Amino acid sequence: MISKNLTAASTKPIILGILKQGNSYGYLIIKKIKELSGGKMEWSDGMLYPVLHRLEKEGSIKSKWVMEGESRPRKYYEITPSGKKVLSSEMEQWMQVNSVIERLWNPKAASN
Amino acid sequence: MFNLEKSIRSWLKLFQKHRAFNHGSIREMELHLRDHIEDLIAEGHSEKSAFEAAVKEFGDIKPMAKEEYWNLRLKSSLNRAMIKNYLKITLRNFRKHKSYAFVNIFGLTIGLTIVLLIGLFVSDELGFDQFHANKADLYRVVENQYYAGQPVFPVAVTPTALAPSLHEEYPEIVKATRIAIDADEFELGGNKIMENEGIMVDPHFFEMFSFPMIDGSIASFFENLNGLILTEELANKYFPDKNPIGELIRLNGQDFEVMGIAEDVPKNSHLSFRYIKNFQNYLAGNPDRANNWLSNWLYTYVQLDPAAVLDTVNNKVIGHIKANNESSVTDIYLQPLTDIYLGDVDFTVEVSRKGEMMYVRIFIVVALFILLISCINFMNLSTARSAKRAKEVGLRKTVGANRNQLIVQFLTESVVFTLVAVVLAIVIVAILLPSFNQLTSKEFSLQMLVDPEFGIQLGILVLFSAFITGLLAGSYPAVFLSSIRPILTLNAQNVTIKQGAGLRKLLVVVQFTISVILIVGTLVVYKQLQFIQDVDLGYSKEHVIYTFVPSRQSTAFANEVRNQRGVVSVARSNRHPAYVLSSSSGFTWSGKDPDETILFHYMGIDEHYVSTMELRIREGRDFFPTDTSAVMINERALEIMGLENPLGQTIDAFGDRTIVGVLENFNFKSIHSGIEPMIIFMIPRPSRVYIKYDPAEEENIAATLDEVWKEFFPNAESEYYFLDKDFNEMYEAEQRTSRLSTYFAILAVLISCLGLFGLVSYAIEQRTKEIGIRKVLGASVPRLFVLLTTDFTKLVLVSLLVSLPVGWFSMNKWLDNYAYRIDLSIWIFVFAAAIALFIALFTVSYQSVRASVRNPVNALRND
Repeated sequence: MISKNLTAASTKPIILGILKQGNSYGYLIIKKIKELSGGKMEWSDGMLYPVLHRLEKEGSIKSKWVMEGESRPRKYYEITPSGKKVLSSEMEQWMQVNSVIERLWNPKAASN
Repeated sequence: MFNLEKSIRSWLKLFQKHRAFNHGSIREMELHLRDHIEDLIAEGHSEKSAFEAAVKEFGDIKPMAKEEYWNLRLKSSLNRAMIKNYLKITLRNFRKHKSYAFVNIFGLTIGLTIVLLIGLFVSDELGFDQFHANKADLYRVVENQYYAGQPVFPVAVTPTALAPSLHEEYPEIVKATRIAIDADEFELGGNKIMENEGIMVDPHFFEMFSFPMIDGSIASFFENLNGLILTEELANKYFPDKNPIGELIRLNGQDFEVMGIAEDVPKNSHLSFRYIKNFQNYLAGNPDRANNWLSNWLYTYVQLDPAAVLDTVNNKVIGHIKANNESSVTDIYLQPLTDIYLGDVDFTVEVSRKGEMMYVRIFIVVALFILLISCINFMNLSTARSAKRAKEVGLRKTVGANRNQLIVQFLTESVVFTLVAVVLAIVIVAILLPSFNQLTSKEFSLQMLVDPEFGIQLGILVLFSAFITGLLAGSYPAVFLSSIRPILTLNAQNVTIKQGAGLRKLLVVVQFTISVILIVGTLVVYKQLQFIQDVDLGYSKEHVIYTFVPSRQSTAFANEVRNQRGVVSVARSNRHPAYVLSSSSGFTWSGKDPDETILFHYMGIDEHYVSTMELRIREGRDFFPTDTSAVMINERALEIMGLENPLGQTIDAFGDRTIVGVLENFNFKSIHSGIEPMIIFMIPRPSRVYIKYDPAEEENIAATLDEVWKEFFPNAESEYYFLDKDFNEMYEAEQRTSRLSTYFAILAVLISCLGLFGLVSYAIEQRTKEIGIRKVLGASVPRLFVLLTTDFTKLVLVSLLVSLPVGWFSMNKWLDNYAYRIDLSIWIFVFAAAIALFIALFTVSYQSVRASVRNPVNALRND
């Protein structure tokens, strides 16, 4: 199980990462995260929404309601250009953390 | 038995407890839960276990609410985009609903136009005498005279000795000047012209008041007994193409040297003058007047030490005249300079430029009334249309708009509407300005609007009032529309919002109440004015023309005029019949209580005056040409003197005189005031000549008189005045109010009807189907008409219940200002009510008739 703190810290890059692959709505995003983490990340589904709404307010993503045929209306989220910038800076930071940890725990691989 | 829908609904209710969730986000959660449950059921869960599992995984709502709450506080980066969107929607609504936008903007425009015009008027009236740098410390000394059996007699003029004596005796009074009104015959290069609006002043005058000089020296003016200061206007009149400084000009046969040019007196100064003489010049000719404490004839102005307290000074000076003149019944007090123009006290011998605070107040109230009416229009029309916009609100809420954003949106709309109306109103004001000037006798110009200081102030004021109006007009619609529940609007095909109908009705009642009050006011003012004009003055002012001639030639002149064609009779006096302001309390007779002081007004006439002016003799006889020591008194004097047999009695009035006749009371002042005791003397050669002419000769009379004038005074321009015209000028303020209130009432009714028109068309639109069905079921056109008009007629009737008593009360109060007044007849109110009802019915009818005769097929086809 991945700890709560770490989960919380990684939410933003994960959501932005998922949306970078294509527009999606809340339930699908959650499903995708669960899939990717193999159920190792402990999420309460509801906590996703405040994060989505905050990202929207910050301008990283935008949303629109879509109704297709007979299906339920869905609120689709889409990453904005500024969201993409946020994502790449997040990626950089996570990479740096990753490389520090790798060098510490796997000195050989790191020195190669 | 487990009910999935019910469980979902009660789960959703948990969100509604938290303000952080808006309709959009709750909907989003609901859809999430439903998706999840669907998936779980597909995996083989029962409905119940699927629901429980989904809810469990969804997690606790409280921490979510906390997070969302923090989100709410984040400033949205979409703000600017949203505002842009609001503006876009506003404009789209403009285009889509042109007639609605027109009614709204038109109403607001009229309202704002009136507010702007009244604002100009009121700021000008309130701005009188504000340009003096020392205004806070400047005062005029005025009198209260007390006479037995008579009310307090307030007088604005004071004795010659007062100003110097006050300055000397009281250290708080740091400066003082006398201002005596003067008129002289100007003679330059053989031409003689009578000039009035001259003043004689003391040296402190220019230090106290801010009347700037253009040229010349004030110091040398006051050193010279025959110095003269002209205003720019007079300087240009007499010396159009040379520097007037140092030039000589004859005034009443005495040479004066022009020693200074002053700027023209601003329009908003209660003191007005066109030339200034040194007061010492007057004293040189009348040395015995310097210490006179008896005769009130000039204005006294003082400047107080800024540290002095007005009440303290007033307590000290109150008995100053009595201290110098034992027989005096006069108290004095200081009246602040800035209170003079709009002062409430009706002084005898007031300056000619005098306003009325009452009218300023009335206009302010009217402006607010009309603004309120147009704001109500806006509110009513906006909320009435709410059903149309309910879908928009519903959708906005569903996609996440919260209430604050919606309120901001609707306020944006109303502010935009108001701004458009403001621009239109300014254009209309610019167009109306000349006629408005005529109406109000003011001189506003467009230049004032461009003037940097005034223009900016006005601009700020206009924008500010537009903003306030926008907020006021938009507040209720905003709060009301934003409260609409989206679920109600998005489900149903046709939404009727009944909410707010009560308030709309109330607002219509308020509108009509105000309109009817204005109608009543207009009618009463009009009636009263007519009454004043037709009131029996006790003399005849019709077909009388008058002029002034030098006293020594007045007899010959009068005789010559008497021989002209069209002249009925000629009389002379030393006073204007409607402005007899000379008075004395020094008259005695046998039987007078020596402790009582009684004030008599007096005038001097010739033996033709009583018959020419058609004064009525109650007892005794008219003057004979041979009378030298005879007097006549009026009924009021007789009453106050308490004489039983007045004829033949002696009265000591400037010497012993015999009463030969008693005249019926007649008005010799404004008819605002009651009738006072009056004594009439025969005097030799009075210089005012009154000519009663044959009405058929009205057109030629001036030319006829001109010829006589030229014979007598070949070098002077002739000047004639019509008596009834003077009379009309005395009531200019009333006439102005009457004209303005007529316009205001018309506009108020128009705006109210505009609103009513909008409301009715909306209500009928809502009832289109109902009307169709009723018609199909056999309702007749008249029946439908009654059905549609009753509702609105009821509102007007309710408003009458309020407005008529209020109108009666307030107009009665206004009429109390007059010594002669009409009684408020019931017919005025019946008439006002009828007008209001008729106009309202007319407005409603147009739409009702249209709706009633429409083919029901069209109304019902949509279903």
